[in-house]
Amino acid sequence: MSVHTVERFRAMGCEVVVAGADAVTVAAGLERWEAVFSLFRPESELSRVNGSRAHVLAVSPLFAFALETALGLAEETEGVVDPTLCGRWPEIGLSHRLLSRPPGLVLDLNGVVKALAVDEAAAALERPGFVSVGGDLAVRGPVDVALPAGAAVRVVTGGLATSGTASRGAHLVDAASGRPSESCWQQVTASGATCLAADVAAKAGFLLGERGPDWLDARRIPGRFVGVDGEIVENLAWHGQVQAVPACT
Amino acid sequence: MPRDSRIERARERARHAKTTLGAVALLVFGVAFVGAKVHAPGHTKGRSKPLGAPASFKRSVRENTLRSGQIAPPAQPPVASSSTS
Repeated sequence: MSVHTVERFRAMGCEVVVAGADAVTVAAGLERWEAVFSLFRPESELSRVNGSRAHVLAVSPLFAFALETALGLAEETEGVVDPTLCGRWPEIGLSHRLLSRPPGLVLDLNGVVKALAVDEAAAALERPGFVSVGGDLAVRGPVDVALPAGAAVRVVTGGLATSGTASRGAHLVDAASGRPSESCWQQVTASGATCLAADVAAKAGFLLGERGPDWLDARRIPGRFVGVDGEIVENLAWHGQVQAVPACT
Repeated sequence: MPRDSRIERARERARHAKTTLGAVALLVFGVAFVGAKVHAPGHTKGRSKPLGAPASFKRSVRENTLRSGQIAPPAQPPVASSSTS
């Protein structure tokens, strides 16, 4: 594809790259998510929920949607991707906009919020292009994307996300132990129907360690794994989609 | 007759005055009403945006959890990059 204008700015603590949309509009949309979910803003709704001693709280529609999504993904990944980061996600109850949880149980929705914000911004793209926040992206129309440790791939539909320890150290938490993951992977890149699907797949692939490639293959999700020693492993789904089709002669 | 004529002229002037005052009052009210609609706090100037995410977006997210996207070999130099953040 030919992208005429690529605009860059910072939001959600990351570099944002946008093509095919008005950067100001995208920035306003990202700020809306940041205002509700930032753990670095004491006035954000997530900070206030985490700081509350109440057992039951009324939350905003956006908060309820993100939490419902996070809980659904925790169930689908059998707790590998967990908004409590400690395996206690089944203790959270959500009925419409009423949240119930043991007081003191802290939520971390960063795992889904950034990807949701990307997907919402990409859904509003006015023409072929993409929205990338911190390297997690969603496209409208094919976009060629550089990958960690060299190489590139064409994202035809959906999104692409990379998780790992390359830039922020061991920040991904193994919910089973509640401690930073000691994965055999340095970075995992996955394709998804949305940026959220790609991000969750990449996180799960990373946190599952050696089981990651097969776990993604079982769900027909393409994944590319960069080992801590730099070795690159592509699962069958990735290899199958990226394998060049020989031209007819 | 001249007296009737004077009274009649006075009544005519009064009618004109009342009509003019009524028209001016109506005009002032109309201008104030439109002005309040446009400028007064609490009155939206454009379409309001919902506080939550749009329903179509929510549906799309729910229908696509843990589903693969489509990738292919690159055909041009990359314009974006995927990396850990």
